[in-house]
Amino acid sequence: EGAKKKKEEGIPTKVVIRRLPPSLTQETLVEELGPLPDHDFFLFVAADMSLVPHAFCRAYINFKNPEEIISFKDKFDGYIFNDTTSSGKKMEYPAIVEFAPYQKVPKGRSKKKDTK
Amino acid sequence: PEVERAPIKIRPPMHEYIRKLLYKDLSKITTEKVLRQMRKLNWQEEDTCRYAIKSLTRVWNVKYNNVHCVANMLAGLVPYQENVGILIVDGILEEIRLGMEINDPKYNQRRVSAAKYLGELYNYRLVESAVIFKTLYSFITFGVSLDAAVPSPLDPPEHMFRIRLVCVLLDTCGQYFDRGSSKRKLDCFLIYFQRYIWVKKSNPTWTEAHPFPIEVDFMVSDTVETLRPKLKLSTSQEEAVKAVEELEQEYRNKFLGALSIQEVDDYE
Repeated sequence: EGAKKKKEEGIPTKVVIRRLPPSLTQETLVEELGPLPDHDFFLFVAADMSLVPHAFCRAYINFKNPEEIISFKDKFDGYIFNDTTSSGKKMEYPAIVEFAPYQKVPKGRSKKKDTK
Repeated sequence: PEVERAPIKIRPPMHEYIRKLLYKDLSKITTEKVLRQMRKLNWQEEDTCRYAIKSLTRVWNVKYNNVHCVANMLAGLVPYQENVGILIVDGILEEIRLGMEINDPKYNQRRVSAAKYLGELYNYRLVESAVIFKTLYSFITFGVSLDAAVPSPLDPPEHMFRIRLVCVLLDTCGQYFDRGSSKRKLDCFLIYFQRYIWVKKSNPTWTEAHPFPIEVDFMVSDTVETLRPKLKLSTSQEEAVKAVEELEQEYRNKFLGALSIQEVDDYE
């Protein structure tokens, strides 16, 4: 509920990690990030391969304690993720960590149950 | 001679079905029907849900004139699948940002569609005006250089595409910024937008033999005239820059005013 209150006060809590390697998986990302800060929403989005060579994964985290965002950003903004292309070339992907431009976060359940 | 054919992509039937609904069937008159079918998808099933969100984000696969139908249909879906709306807005904003970072003309039509879609998402109340203004300002600031001596690779002097994106977004939803705080916000934006345009126009890359494209002037005046018929556009860079300075001075004064009231409060 803390994050919800913060949101009402207009404090941004939703952070996006962008420009991650295209072949990254959610498991590898979580492993690489280590213990995640307190959050009530985490979403991994796979890369859009129609944009190769500019295809990137991204992930969203909604922080429960906005105070922890700064240290998270210090640690992972510019953090190098490694990937290997299909032709075997090693590539470096510096991540970008910033506030998500859209701060809304999915709630657990939909308001209306769809009877269709 | 043997012609090499592009390989046909084979997709699972459910993916084909979602594509058919959104990219073939959906039109102004079928919106209700398509919505009913979209509601019937098995949204609990991870692959279906993921593919539906992906297809609803990739609005450039839809005819440009039907972009509003996707937003309209989505507005009918969101009361039942709230999360879907949020993920699509996130996806479109990423698309817009990444488009500026890649800046390859081959994606121009795709970027125009994405900007229009964002405007339609506002019209159907799926995003608030703050998101629209954030995007408008990003078009005229992200990787932008106001100094002709230091050109930016993300927005080179002869690059007019950001102006086009601003016009597309304003043509789509600017008409609703006609009262209250969003009216004021649009007035402010137009001041900064004019400075951006004048910095472009004043760049030494333009000469008598190679003048600033007049279509761009027409595009801007068409957009602005519709939104603010009485607004007189700046006629020089000096004028446009001065307007920004005056606006900023006004806000500095207001801010300092608010600050001193705060200090008085602290003393009491």
